[in-house]
Amino acid sequence: MNIMTNDMGGPGAKRARTGGTNALGANSEIGRKLKQYYDGLVSEEVPNRFAELLSQLEKAESTQKKD
Amino acid sequence: MAVSAGFKNDLLAAIPSLRAFAMSLSQNADKADDLVQETLVKAWDKHESFQMGTNLKAWLFTILRNEFYSQMRKRGREVQDSDGIMTARLAVHPSQHGVLDLEDFRVALEKLPDDQREAVILIGASGFSYEEAAEICGCAVGTIKSRVSRARTRLQDMLQIAGEDEFGPDAIAAQVMGSNAA
Repeated sequence: MNIMTNDMGGPGAKRARTGGTNALGANSEIGRKLKQYYDGLVSEEVPNRFAELLSQLEKAESTQKKD
Repeated sequence: MAVSAGFKNDLLAAIPSLRAFAMSLSQNADKADDLVQETLVKAWDKHESFQMGTNLKAWLFTILRNEFYSQMRKRGREVQDSDGIMTARLAVHPSQHGVLDLEDFRVALEKLPDDQREAVILIGASGFSYEEAAEICGCAVGTIKSRVSRARTRLQDMLQIAGEDEFGPDAIAAQVMGSNAA
């Protein structure tokens, strides 16, 4: 029997990423609601002011560099 | 060193996540957008201290979080607004048929202490590892773990749902079916 066939990976398998889903797993009601709540916020339309702000910062910088 | 166009695009791409995190922390749309704006300006100024190839999102979340707490300290801890008190007084009723209303969940989430709310958001929703969340919050990994665990217990209490990880949805369904049959 070869243990290496185990999909979970060897001792070095990275588990940090999934660490959170164990406590707040997608198969728990709280985990699902948390995702739903947050995804709703992430998918909200972003006001233009942020793109404008970054363009202003960029412009300010390029004029400074010419000195 | 000029800020690269790539960095600007990366910032643009991070804005939806930053707004979601800011909203989760501040519970107020105007404050959230102010936080995001401050974060973008700071990130721009400090871009040289960002190490390419490391996690930009975590770096930005750290800046935003620091900004949030420093604003809170400046203002003094604001008394909860009247809206907040009203919502807090609304009883969260137990979910029917195991389906939890999103609004009930939001109300319960708002009632968590800030440190617990940010921990569950970072771990359960933003997709950070415990290690990354600890770095963002400037605390030990164990602290994040215990905050997540306490938050989960509190949410379960407030929403009156059983610890599904312990019993599993089938066990709950069986209890419901059992009580109906009795």
